[in-house]
Amino acid sequence: MERLHPRIQLIWIIKTLIFTGILAGAGALARMYIEIPLWAVALTVIGITLIGTMHAIARYRRWGYEIRDDSLYLERGVLTEVRTIVPLVRIQHVDSSRTPIERVFGLASTVVYTAGSRGADVRIPGLTRTTAQTIQEQLKELAIQAEGEDAV
Amino acid sequence: MKLSPRSIPYRALQRAGSIIILAVFIGAGAGQQTVGPILIALTVLLALIGIFAYELTYYNRFQYHLTDATLDIHSGVFNKREREIPYRRIQNVDISRNVIQRLLGIAVVNLETAGGESTEGSIRYVTVHEANRLQEEIQRRKQEDTTPDETPTPPDVLYQITDTELLLAGIFSFDPRIIGLIGLLATGSIPFVSSYFPDPTTILFTVTGLILIFTIAIASWLLGALITIFNYYGFVLTKARDELRYERGLFQRFNGSIPLTKIQTITVEDNPLKRFFDYATLTVETAGYATGQSGTEGSQAAVPIARRNRVFSLATNVEPIDHDQISYAQPPSRIRRRYIARYLIALTIFLGIAYFANTQTTTPLPWYWLLASIILIPPAAHYKWKHRGYWIGTDHIVTRNGFWKRTTKIVPYYRIQTVIDARTIFQRRWNVATIIIDTASSQSIMGRGAAAIDIDTRDADTLRETLPNELQAALENTETPTSSIDPTTTDA
Repeated sequence: MERLHPRIQLIWIIKTLIFTGILAGAGALARMYIEIPLWAVALTVIGITLIGTMHAIARYRRWGYEIRDDSLYLERGVLTEVRTIVPLVRIQHVDSSRTPIERVFGLASTVVYTAGSRGADVRIPGLTRTTAQTIQEQLKELAIQAEGEDAV
Repeated sequence: MKLSPRSIPYRALQRAGSIIILAVFIGAGAGQQTVGPILIALTVLLALIGIFAYELTYYNRFQYHLTDATLDIHSGVFNKREREIPYRRIQNVDISRNVIQRLLGIAVVNLETAGGESTEGSIRYVTVHEANRLQEEIQRRKQEDTTPDETPTPPDVLYQITDTELLLAGIFSFDPRIIGLIGLLATGSIPFVSSYFPDPTTILFTVTGLILIFTIAIASWLLGALITIFNYYGFVLTKARDELRYERGLFQRFNGSIPLTKIQTITVEDNPLKRFFDYATLTVETAGYATGQSGTEGSQAAVPIARRNRVFSLATNVEPIDHDQISYAQPPSRIRRRYIARYLIALTIFLGIAYFANTQTTTPLPWYWLLASIILIPPAAHYKWKHRGYWIGTDHIVTRNGFWKRTTKIVPYYRIQTVIDARTIFQRRWNVATIIIDTASSQSIMGRGAAAIDIDTRDADTLRETLPNELQAALENTETPTSSIDPTTTDA
């Protein structure tokens, strides 16, 4: 089982921080008009940040993927554990994508598309640029070998 | 080829209709003003001439040709448009006619392509004869495009709705949950109303209230039944070459085809009423295109109603299922306790709301009456569990869920797209998991695909690992027709 790059935890934590930042701002704004004790706002913000950080770490620990002989296997989820199997014959195309925040941390995601749309969001985040490219190439090769024309 | 000349007056009238209404409004509004009625009449006349001229030009300019590989449509009055639709991209050719169109003997031909989001081409209007010829011809050429020379076989009538079945379809369109809802409202309303009014008025009020609710329920049921009957009037399902064709409708006639190679899953649906009388409904789902999508919502049924056995033998025409052997593996019986707990939580929330509502009103409400429904929880949990299950066949996986609307999904192994195993934190406590079998069907896209819910984790582990292997094996064994490569879907 392959793991994600540990730096992905930072990205997830930063996302939580952005959220709590907005929340803190909203709290500060609300305090101007209605009576909310400062400690309540502070506690909420700190609480969410802590939970978010713990969730990010747990999420990283749970995440795993594996390219098997005839399928791609993903394992993830903290509260709801999800295991997905994407048969290689079903892969329609493979994308490599990088969001701005991912670019800052030198990471990338690989997105796998199948005709079943629920599977269309098969996405492996937290890969180094080279790994993402390797996976993309590898999956593409394997999908072609597995007679990928049989898409539906 | 050109449109039917009868389409000119029809199109002109269609367009003129709105203008005449507008003119009447303007006329009424300007009646007292200086604008004379002659001026208005003149404008309307001019507009009508304009419309007629436009439609005449439209008719003259509209041309379609069936070439070797494409259907070419040249059209447009002000902006000219030339469209070439390759036959292989055309999924369905639908013909529809409304009452006026039927009187005039004309029809609309709609060409649906993969994705089913929009109509690729619409030919308005040709004669009925020409519409049928077009449908035949396009399907034939489409076949030729993929599999050359195949002698056309006469269509095989699979199912023709009888009057009894049509009536039953109407009656069964009733949702039995409504009875329960009325019962709840009725019993709940007596004490509620009685608290506000002195005795004689109370009785009068409750009685009229009950009658009103009852009438509304009956009326909505009759309306639903009528709509169903109009929709499925004269329903015929035939099988020709590689597709299913259906024809239905009283006022608006629908006519469509479902390519067999596009069918992803087969669904058998029933409700307690249908189960009691041993009836069921059959639906087929294709990739990105639901049957009768161009029609009204909820008219997806391929077979609106038939005896349960007949439904399964009809399904065999589409997919060879050994339905006599189906025996469902149920979720572990301990899961019923989980359902009980879940219903108890829901009831508690309900009670809480009722209690809160009680505190807000001056007259006390007997909110604790709701507590009586606690006796319904164990049977509800039991039946939820009882109707849930899955079966692993030689070529299919069958899943079943739901009590009020029980849905049985039959998925051929070669249609599996991905297999998802999901376990929520609560499911883990009970050592159960949900296996979602994803296909390219439109239902699956909306999260209503096949799923084996709350099965034991060990079973889930095996199922998760075997299904992709079954897919692999099915793809290797059956080269044709299951794996017949269809460019349509890969294009889409």
